[in-house]
Amino acid sequence: MSMGPALRYHLNVTLLGRGFLRWQRLRMASRLKKTRSHQHLAPPLATWPRLKEILSLHYLKGRYVSGHRKVAWVSSGAPVEPLVALGFYLLYPENHGALCAIRRMSEELMTVAEDAGYSRDLCSYVRTDLGSVLSGRSPAGNLPRPDLLLCCTNICQTVLHWYRVLAHHFDVPLILVDTPFLYRGATPHALAFVQRQMEDYVSEAERVAGRRLSWARLRRVLTLSRDAVELWARILAQGRQRPSPLTAFDAFVHMGPIVEMRGQEICVDYYQQLLAELRQRVENGVGALEQERFRLLWDNLPVWHRLRWFSELLAARGAALVASTYANAWGELASLIDPQRPMESAARVYLHPILNVGVGDKLRKMQGMVEEYSLDGAILHSDRSCKPYSIGQVDQRNALVRGLQVPSLLLEADHNDPRSFSPEQASGRLDAFLEMLESHS
Amino acid sequence: MMTFPQELPTRKQVMARHRGNGGRIALVFPVHYPRALLRAFGFLPMEVWGPPGFSTAEADAYIQVYACSVVRCGFSALVSGRLGSPDLVLVPHACDSLQGLGSMLLDFPKVECPVRPFYLPRAGGDAARDYLAAEFQAISRELEELTGLHPSGHDLLASQKREEEADRLLARLHRERGRMGLPSLDLYRVLRSREYLPAESFTNMARQLLHRHRPGTSAGIPLLLSGIVPEPMEILSLLADAGADLRGDDYACCGRRLYPPGSSADPFRRMAESLLAAPPDSLRGSSVQDRVRHLLQLSHGSGAKAVIFHGIKSCEPELFYLPQIRAALESAGLASMSLQVDLAVSLPGQVRTRIEAFLEALS
Repeated sequence: MSMGPALRYHLNVTLLGRGFLRWQRLRMASRLKKTRSHQHLAPPLATWPRLKEILSLHYLKGRYVSGHRKVAWVSSGAPVEPLVALGFYLLYPENHGALCAIRRMSEELMTVAEDAGYSRDLCSYVRTDLGSVLSGRSPAGNLPRPDLLLCCTNICQTVLHWYRVLAHHFDVPLILVDTPFLYRGATPHALAFVQRQMEDYVSEAERVAGRRLSWARLRRVLTLSRDAVELWARILAQGRQRPSPLTAFDAFVHMGPIVEMRGQEICVDYYQQLLAELRQRVENGVGALEQERFRLLWDNLPVWHRLRWFSELLAARGAALVASTYANAWGELASLIDPQRPMESAARVYLHPILNVGVGDKLRKMQGMVEEYSLDGAILHSDRSCKPYSIGQVDQRNALVRGLQVPSLLLEADHNDPRSFSPEQASGRLDAFLEMLESHS
Repeated sequence: MMTFPQELPTRKQVMARHRGNGGRIALVFPVHYPRALLRAFGFLPMEVWGPPGFSTAEADAYIQVYACSVVRCGFSALVSGRLGSPDLVLVPHACDSLQGLGSMLLDFPKVECPVRPFYLPRAGGDAARDYLAAEFQAISRELEELTGLHPSGHDLLASQKREEEADRLLARLHRERGRMGLPSLDLYRVLRSREYLPAESFTNMARQLLHRHRPGTSAGIPLLLSGIVPEPMEILSLLADAGADLRGDDYACCGRRLYPPGSSADPFRRMAESLLAAPPDSLRGSSVQDRVRHLLQLSHGSGAKAVIFHGIKSCEPELFYLPQIRAALESAGLASMSLQVDLAVSLPGQVRTRIEAFLEALS
């Protein structure tokens, strides 16, 4: 690495950027104290400005990191710890895709990808990302070119095809960690298969990084990962309180660090602050909604381009989304992380996310959440862009309704494509669903 | 001597004959699976590629419309009983939709027979081979329990070798298609009989056919087809009528399943070797480069001037690669066009118009 990029990085990030973002956080925090975002919602969490600061800092680093540190683009469920230990800067195209949707840029970017021949039948995260790659446009400024791609099939096969396309476009190496789908639990040969790939992965990552992996450093990173995952699980568990101090919408926004900064101190520090604030809310009897009449489960990805719309519509009707299978997925596997056995435990952990297990396992997870969170109903987002999460939902809904007498709604939308979502239709269906809940109560 | 393809038995006839001989039927969803393993336990694999043109009413009740029509038609045909009463349903993991289908059939049963999904590794190398061999061994143990049969290692190896011989002849039929004088539609009926004929029957038929020497005229525009499955099959007559000369294919159900023989003496490992050495396939996670290289080899070897990508609507694995593959082909001087069809509906008129316009531009 040459001196120029390092100087540029430290000037813009360490010297100017950090200071500016800190100032912005303080200004935002003081504004938050005076404003109220919505009549039916509690004031935003006080940690929110800090979240914005660390996420902005992450993308700011990305703007100046090229030439200073090696860059890897990574799928969201991938075993990132070796890359963190090797000092890679990590970018998560899925998180960036969500950011584009929240900032109302996804449609514009998807159009760029579609004009280049990518079908509208492809996942909207992918179209958003490819549109950003092809046009160079992003709400985060510009994204660093990858030196390496890391993809893990434990969330879908879509990511593999997506990363194949990226590897061809950027002409960079792609590390694939292929995790057999667990129809009926993890077999010894599935574990062995993933573990062997993990070993190959480390060799390839070392080659690209131009340095050897420190196993002591990897153990430290794994410990931080485990701590963060445990904290995230405890944060989400606050939703079991009545009234719940947070909603799934808060969780969707605050899950940025657990996805993007797993294995880093900043992630653990932030979640400690957030947990403390939520506990304070519980102690003071402060709920995320002014009035919590119904407690609901959200299944599948959020509708990123309509987060606020959903949040306000449901809050106005006293419906609190207190749990979600999606946010929960990042808090489930802490007990499987063993820093003393990095490769073996990585194989076990990364085989078991909710999207890599059968539809029956997912139903059992939802049934468990109904009990744990004292839920009155469930909204299953049938996400046009996420087949692995969505196929099976009809049976899952039927089982919730018939088996547990939990009213459940299947709602059609798309996590990133506003063109595949009708607010009028969704609001009508949600109203009818909540009326039904009312009659049940 | 058979006359082709008129004397090809139908799927129903083959199933009835196999059952009559005390055999079992396994319905198998796309794409790659261990035929030899099923045969060693007395199962005749009957592949389910749609089937096209059936109502998807049953799927409408359980599977979202954005899943592809191979899955939706297949599910409907299976649960409605239109595919008969199988003794086993095998669902290889070829994509997210088939993953969902396999998982649904397993966890929320809709058929009475056992359902066995299995994962197909996307990574390459020895680790993938060993994983797949172990998975085949696990399936074998389950089949032992299901059937009470215990084929020896020798039996399994013999079964694999029979399949390898059928695959070798299938590859020859593909390569030597020009000298048999069969119209494309008839040729593909023959090639696709590998989806349901026992290896021995297919081998006999292929040998007879390869003895024929009736080269047809190949005055049309030479091209390749690529996609999942040549359905509706009328597309093949449509292409011939429009002046195309089909020189080869890269269909997941045809040209991407020309498995070379394995080399190991261990039957499970040999099955895995053979399957993983098939031509590049997006459904096995092959890279864009590998697929481009393969298509270029096919076109250079056959003299094709163009490629028609005949895909299934909503089939992500195929759709992802199209822009980059088409750009690479264009750089190499090969024209291409892309069509997406839905197996649940008949071929729309605009497909005919588009094909005619494309071929006219090429001529």
